Amino acid sequence: MKKRILTATLALAMTASLLSGSMMTVSANEELEGTIEVGGWPSGDDAFEAALEGFNEKYPNIEVELVFTDTTAHHQSLQTSLAAGSGAPDVAMVEGAYIAQYRNSTALADLNQFGVDKYKDDFGAFKWDQAVSDDGTRMVALPWDLGPTLYYYRTDIFEECGLPTDPAEVTELMSTWDGVLKVAEAVSIPGERWFLPSAAYPYQWMFINRDYYDEKLNLKLERDGDLECLDACLKIRENGWDMNVDMWSAEAYAAYAQGTCVSVAAGSWFSGFLKTDIDPDGAGHWGATALPAGMPSTNWGGSFLVIPEQSENKELAWAFIEYMLCTAEAQNAMFAAVDYFPAYEPAWEVAPELYTDGDPYFGGQAPNSIATEIAASVPTVFNTIMDVTAEGYLYSSFNAGAEAGETPEQIRDRLGNDIEAACAELKAQQIQTLKDAGVWEE
Amino acid sequence: MTKKKTGLLATLWQYRVAYAYIAPFYILFATFTLFPMVAGFALSFFRWDGLGAMHFIKFENYVNLLNDPLFWKALKNTLFMGLIAHIPILLGGLVLAYLLNSKLVKGQNIFKTIYFMPMVTSSVAISIIFSNMFGYNYGLINWFLGLFGEEPINWLAGDGSLIPVAVIILFAWKWIGWNMVIYLAGMQGISNDIYEAAEIDGANHTQIIFRILIPLLKPIILFTMIQSTIGMFNLFTEPFMLTGSNLNGGTNNGGLTLMMYLLGKAPQGGTAYGYASAVAYVITMMIILVSILLNRVMSDTDPEERRLLKEQKKMRKERRKA
Amino acid sequence: MKTLLIILVLFAAFLILISAFTKRGKKIALYIVLITIAIIMLTPFYMMFVMSTLKTNEIYSFPPVLTFGTNLLENLKNMSEKIDLLRAFGNSLFVTGSYVVLVLFFCSIGGYAFSVYDFPGKKQLFTILLGTMMVPATAGMIPWFIMMSRFGWVNSYKALIIPGCANAFGIFWMRQYCQNNVPKALMEAARIDGCSEWTIFFRVIAPILKPAYASLGIMQFVNQWNEFTQALLILKKEKLYTLPLILRSLVTDRGTDQGALMVASTCAVLPLLICFLCASKFFMDGLTAGAVKE
Repeated sequence: MKKRILTATLALAMTASLLSGSMMTVSANEELEGTIEVGGWPSGDDAFEAALEGFNEKYPNIEVELVFTDTTAHHQSLQTSLAAGSGAPDVAMVEGAYIAQYRNSTALADLNQFGVDKYKDDFGAFKWDQAVSDDGTRMVALPWDLGPTLYYYRTDIFEECGLPTDPAEVTELMSTWDGVLKVAEAVSIPGERWFLPSAAYPYQWMFINRDYYDEKLNLKLERDGDLECLDACLKIRENGWDMNVDMWSAEAYAAYAQGTCVSVAAGSWFSGFLKTDIDPDGAGHWGATALPAGMPSTNWGGSFLVIPEQSENKELAWAFIEYMLCTAEAQNAMFAAVDYFPAYEPAWEVAPELYTDGDPYFGGQAPNSIATEIAASVPTVFNTIMDVTAEGYLYSSFNAGAEAGETPEQIRDRLGNDIEAACAELKAQQIQTLKDAGVWEE
Repeated sequence: MTKKKTGLLATLWQYRVAYAYIAPFYILFATFTLFPMVAGFALSFFRWDGLGAMHFIKFENYVNLLNDPLFWKALKNTLFMGLIAHIPILLGGLVLAYLLNSKLVKGQNIFKTIYFMPMVTSSVAISIIFSNMFGYNYGLINWFLGLFGEEPINWLAGDGSLIPVAVIILFAWKWIGWNMVIYLAGMQGISNDIYEAAEIDGANHTQIIFRILIPLLKPIILFTMIQSTIGMFNLFTEPFMLTGSNLNGGTNNGGLTLMMYLLGKAPQGGTAYGYASAVAYVITMMIILVSILLNRVMSDTDPEERRLLKEQKKMRKERRKA
Repeated sequence: MKTLLIILVLFAAFLILISAFTKRGKKIALYIVLITIAIIMLTPFYMMFVMSTLKTNEIYSFPPVLTFGTNLLENLKNMSEKIDLLRAFGNSLFVTGSYVVLVLFFCSIGGYAFSVYDFPGKKQLFTILLGTMMVPATAGMIPWFIMMSRFGWVNSYKALIIPGCANAFGIFWMRQYCQNNVPKALMEAARIDGCSEWTIFFRVIAPILKPAYASLGIMQFVNQWNEFTQALLILKKEKLYTLPLILRSLVTDRGTDQGALMVASTCAVLPLLICFLCASKFFMDGLTAGAVKE
C-alpha cells in the first residue's frame, strides 16, 4: 500500500520546468479547488504520479491524495464503501473483470452529467460499451487502458536452451501446441526451472476476454481448439513443467526474476509490472510476443475510473478523470511510465514513437507495436457480474481435474459445473438487473 | 392501566441504581444484536443488492442456498476442519498437560509459556508465516519432508484438498497450548491422592488418563469443545489468509468456510444482501443445533462421575477458602 | 510418507525403551518429547525473525535459508515506505484500549448489580443474559453491517468499540467474582457512612475487583488486539487500519515484498509477545479464566 501527498514533489517539478523555460502556456483553471482522494491498485499510483505535473499545471488548486492497495482488497473495500454510502475515494479504479458489477450501480455518478459523450469516438467500442448501463441511459465509468494479451518469456533462458529469442521466430516456433510443448520441454528442469507458473494458464488465455456468457446468459465454454489446449496443459502438468502456483503469488514473482519460471502471459500492462515490481534489474532478458498456438487476439483487463455518488467533490473528480484519461498528454505520460496501454485512441497518433520504437527493457524489441496490432482486433464481448467468479474457476477447476486424472472433456464439464454452481445466485441477480433495465426477454 | 404504569415506573425508580447498572447491556444487545437478527430474518426473503429496489422472493434464497454445491462444500470444509482439528488439540493438550503435570519435569512454566505463545499472536501474522512455510517449491515444511525423501506436497494449491489439512495443522499449533493450560489447571485441582491410589493399584499411564483424568476433566473438556465448535462456524481469518484472501477458498474451494461463503455473497465480496442473510440464518440454526447436541452429551454424565465431580468441586472450594 | 512414519515409530519406540527401566531414562524421554514440541512451537516464530532479515529471493530459495541474513535494515526501510506501522500500532492501541476500558466499566457495574442488588425481574433478566451468550451474532450480521453504514460508522472505530462493550460474558464473569469476593458488610458500612451507591462502587468495590479486572482485561485485550473480521468489514481507509489489517494490506495479489512483510509481522507480533513473556502466568490465567473457573 502506497500513499503519498504529492504536492511537495510537484512544486519542485514545476519549479524545475519553469526554470528550464519549457513550461507550455496552459490555461490554468484556478476556480476548482480542494483535495480529492484517488483509490486503486499499483501501478496506477505510479501512472498518476507521472501525469500529475500536467494536471497540476491545469488545476493548480486541486490536491490529489493517492490511496492504493492491492486489486482484490481495493474492490472488496470499494464494494462495501459504496453499500455503506461512505468511505469510498472520490475517484476509484475499477478493474475490467469487475466492471459489469458496477455498470448498473446507482452508487456511482452518471458521467453523462459531465458530457462524457463527446469522447465516445475516441475510445474503442468494446471498452466503451462495457461501462454503459444495461438500459443504455447511464455511463458510470470511463475506460483507462487496454490489456492486449502478450506472451512474456525470458530471452536469456531461451537462448541458453538453444531456442530463438526474436518475437516473430518465437511465435513461429510456438504456433502449434506441439511447438509449445517442445519449448516447454526444452526450458524446463523439473523441480528447478519451469515453463509456466501453472499449466492452467494456457487454458485461461482462451477466456481472458471474459466472454464467458452470451446475451442469454448461457455459459459458453466450448470454443475452437479448447480440448487441444487442455490436452497440452495436462501434458505440461504431468511432466512437471509448471511450478503449479498462482501466477500472482510471491513464489511466482520470485521465480520470474530468478529466471526459474521462464514464461507467462498477461495484458500488456504486465510490462510495467516487470519493470517496476517484479524484475527491475531484468532489462535485456525479457521478450514479448503474441499468444502462442495461434490463439485469437484478446484483451486482458485494463481498468476504468469511476466517481462514487457519495463523493462531495464530483466536479474535481471529473476534472481529474477528464485530464488523465481524455488527453493524449496524460495518457501517454502514464503509458510511458507503467505501460498502461491507452484506451484513448487519439493518444496513439500523438506520440507514435511510444508505440513503435524498441524498448530497451525488452532488449530493443517493441512489444507495444505487437500490442497495438492486437488492440485493433479485439472483439466486443458481453460482460456479466459472473465474470470474476467464473475466471477464478478456470484455474482451480483445471487443477482439481488434473489432480483427479481427468480427460480434457471431463475437465471442461467439471469447469462448467463449478461455474454454474458458484454463479447461480449471481445469475439470478444479473437477470433481475437486466429485467429492471427492461432488456431481458424470457 | 395508569395505576399499573405508575407502579412500574415507581419500581423502576426505586431500583434505579441496579437497573441503570445493567441497562447498558440490554440496550446494546437489543440495538446491535437483537434488532439485526430480526431484520436479517426478514431480509432473507428478499433479493436486494443493497441499493436498488427490494424484491420479495419468498423462500427462493433458501432454496437456492440448499441447491448450491458450494454451500455444501463450505459446510463440509467447516465441519471437517472444526471436527478433525479437535483431535490433535484435545489429545495433544491432554497429553502435554499430563506430561507437564509429572513431578519429574522442572521448568514447567517455561514449557507452558512456549506452548502458549501462539495464543497472543495475531491470526493474520500466524497465517502469513504459515503460508510461507507451506510453500510448494520453497516452503520449510516441504523441505523438511524432502529430508526424508518425501515428494513436495502442494499444501495450499494442488486440488485444494490439502488446504483444510494445512488449516488444521495451523490450528493445532495455535490451540494446543491454550487447551493444555486449561487441562493442566484442571489436573492440578485433582488431589494427588487419586493418582497415588491409582498407582498403588497398578494402573498405567493410559489407564490413568482415560479412567481417571478424562472423566474428572469432562466438564472442562466439554467446555473447550463447545467453545471451539461454536468458534468453528465462524472460522474465517486463517483460511482466508492462507488462500490468497479472495473469498473463494483457493483451488477447488478447498479452504472455503461458511463464514467466507457468507462474506463472499455480501458485504465483502458481492451485493447479494438477502441471500447472505439467508446464509447467516442457516449458519445460526446449525450453531444452535450443535450447541443443543453438545449440551445433551454434557448432561449425560453418569452418577458416579457426578459424585466425583462434586467432590472435586468441594475440594477446590475448600482450597480456595484456605 | 513411509520413511517418515518409520522414523517416527522408531523414535517413539526409543523413547518408550529408555523410559521403561530407570527413572532417569524416564526423565530424559520426558524432556526429549517436551523439547521437541517446544521446538515445533517456536519454529514459526524463529522463521519469522529469520525471514525478516532476508532478501525476497533468499526467502524463495531452495533449500530454505535457516540462519539470519543481513537485509533487516533494507526490509525495514522498504516496509516503512509502504506502510505506516506506527500509526497502525497507535490505532490498534486506541481501539483496544478504549474497548477494554468500556468493557471493564460496563461489565463490572452490571455484574456487581446482579450480584449485590435485589430488584424485581432480576432472575429473569439474568436468565436472558445467560441466554444471549448462546445466541450467535452471525444471524444479524448483514443488517448489522447495513446499520453501521446508516449510522455512518463504517470507517469509524465506534463500530468496533460500542456494540460489544457491555457483553454478557463479562457481566457473568464479574458477577461470579463479586459473589465470591464482595462482602456485603462492607457495603452496609459504607452506606451507613452516607456514601452514595455510586461512591460505594468506585471507592469500595472497584478496588476489590482489581484481580477480576486484570483477568477480564487481559482476555478482552488480546482478543480485540488481534480481531480481524469485523475490522476488515468496517475499516476501509488505510489511515484507520489496525495492525492485522495493515499486515493484510502488505499481502498483495500482485507480488509481495516478503522481507518487508516479515519485518512488519515481527513488529506487529513482538510487543504483545514481549508483554506475554514478561508476565506469562498472568496472561495465561487471564486468557483461560473463562474456561478454568467455568
